[in-house]
Amino acid sequence: MSFIILKNIVKEYGPAHALRGVSMEIQKGQWVNIMGPSGSGKSTLLNIIGGLDTPTSGEVFVEGIKINALSEDDLACFRREKTGFVFQQSHLVPYLDAVENVMLAQYFHSMADEEEAVGALTRVGLEHRLKHRPSQLSGGEQQRICIARALTNDPVLLLADEPTGNLDRENTKMILELLKKLHSEEHFTIILVTHDPFVSQWGERVLMMEDGSIKSDAPINP
Amino acid sequence: MLFNIIQKSFLNQKKAVALMLVSVAAGTAVTASLLTVSYDISGKVSKELRSFGANILIEPKVEGLAGISGQKRFLREEDIVRAKAIFWRHNIIGIAPMLEATVEVKANSRTATYDIIGIWYEKSLPLPGEEKQFTAGTRTVSPWWDIKGQWPDSHEKVIAGASLSERLGIKTGDEIFMNGKRFTVSGTLETGGREDNQIIMELGALQEFMNMPGKISKVLVSALSKPMDEFAYKDPATMTQAEYEKWYCTGYITSIAKQLEEVFRGSRAKPVWNIAETEGKVLNRLTLLIYFLSFLSVLAAALGVSTTMIMSFLRRTHEIGLMKAVGADSGKIITVFISEACLTGLIGGTIGYVLSLIVSQYIGTQVFSARLEQREMLLPIALGSAVLIAVLGTILPIKKALSIKPAIILKGAE
Repeated sequence: MSFIILKNIVKEYGPAHALRGVSMEIQKGQWVNIMGPSGSGKSTLLNIIGGLDTPTSGEVFVEGIKINALSEDDLACFRREKTGFVFQQSHLVPYLDAVENVMLAQYFHSMADEEEAVGALTRVGLEHRLKHRPSQLSGGEQQRICIARALTNDPVLLLADEPTGNLDRENTKMILELLKKLHSEEHFTIILVTHDPFVSQWGERVLMMEDGSIKSDAPINP
Repeated sequence: MLFNIIQKSFLNQKKAVALMLVSVAAGTAVTASLLTVSYDISGKVSKELRSFGANILIEPKVEGLAGISGQKRFLREEDIVRAKAIFWRHNIIGIAPMLEATVEVKANSRTATYDIIGIWYEKSLPLPGEEKQFTAGTRTVSPWWDIKGQWPDSHEKVIAGASLSERLGIKTGDEIFMNGKRFTVSGTLETGGREDNQIIMELGALQEFMNMPGKISKVLVSALSKPMDEFAYKDPATMTQAEYEKWYCTGYITSIAKQLEEVFRGSRAKPVWNIAETEGKVLNRLTLLIYFLSFLSVLAAALGVSTTMIMSFLRRTHEIGLMKAVGADSGKIITVFISEACLTGLIGGTIGYVLSLIVSQYIGTQVFSARLEQREMLLPIALGSAVLIAVLGTILPIKKALSIKPAIILKGAE
């Protein structure tokens, strides 16, 4: 059975159709990139898979859990137990330092553990920036905190919505190298949304979306 | 971690936190001050109302043949001091014995029969078992008596009622004859009551003059009492033992009267209902007004907190969306907000309590010309109200926080 199964997912915002009957499957440990122009529905699809949003109709299964049938609090539980999110904008709490931002995710998961948070930041190469606040860090460093925060609770699914959208090429490459290293070491499933052809070449599979539908689904040649 | 979040969140929004603390502190200060006043108001206002006259009248009990025959009965002067030995002795703030008689008065060639009363003007009584003295007398129960002239300073001097003086054509310094004995009018009195048609002299002098040693006709008592409620009106004869004990040990005017009746031999003590009931109504309404104002101040402060919290919430929607995105469920979101509210309440409540100590003393000195007693039990009440204010003010922001859709908020922030 596939790790993620989407059956005829429709998402409507009033009269607008964000997704028009999307169906697909993703295997465990796969790195899938979703590409498409703005408004094609790629972020909506990512949010629905991650339980941040719910479909208007259709079914979503993640690790056998039908998440479109979960209550708000069960969805919150699903997010903290199974997923890790990395957003285009780093979305860090501005008044907490790097370690505390990672510990925040731990606190909402179970218990905050500073040692583990430091470990997570060390894994992303930020051991020297532990007590810095977001405003004192570069965009690339902020995204690395987000990755550390996303991974600190050992998720099975990493969801990244244009994680390099605000970064220059050098920082983009650094983030992708980091994701590649973590993916090869820890084998979690990655779904990454991007409109950057350079980014889309990283990973194992690329989906092309347009107007709320998947137009192509192809493996990436190594 | 929770404390860390709250602490840094507070430091990050100093203005909003300061505004919330001001709202909570102001609400708590007003509530705690009003409660301090309400605890003392009964005693203070009751004391003020006591200047309107005695609220208990003790008379000889008339029953059986004595009542039918009209045989005059008297109370004993020696029992007066026993009024300060009853359970509610500290509530007795004025005692005025009175002996009534009739004399023939001759002045300016006019002769007529008038009532004469013998009273204690002002007399220090030894308190049973205590070194302190208690001041009794008419001046303690009828402080409004305004003598034109002087209070008599000897047994040969009397006060004449204003109407009587007019009829007899006498004034201060004149001589009158009562039952053939000469007396000097040291002053005149106008109260608008029966005294205007009476001659007033010192109790001991009248007892001696009328040959009625140790006898008194009635005693007026001024007592601080608890406002009457439904239970107080219950007939003691129909009460159970437990009810009777509760009634007896509560400072109702009726139970104080009952205890006075027990120490004055052959007496019947009854409340002066028009005064006692008015007093009760005034006190009940004042207390109700204070509770109502306290409730309004809590509500106003909660609205203040709520407004500030909503402003703060609008600035923090992105942060709340992020908390939800990383897995915070309703319980955790509520915990964060309620914890912030509780901390705000505790800090604001402490400030408010300290302020209330100043405000309540100001009210006490300005309104009652006396310091109000500070009660330790008010601190937990003040802190409790402060936390209540802060939590009430947080309900709406929490509801809004719970309705946030992280996908929309985080996408909207881009």
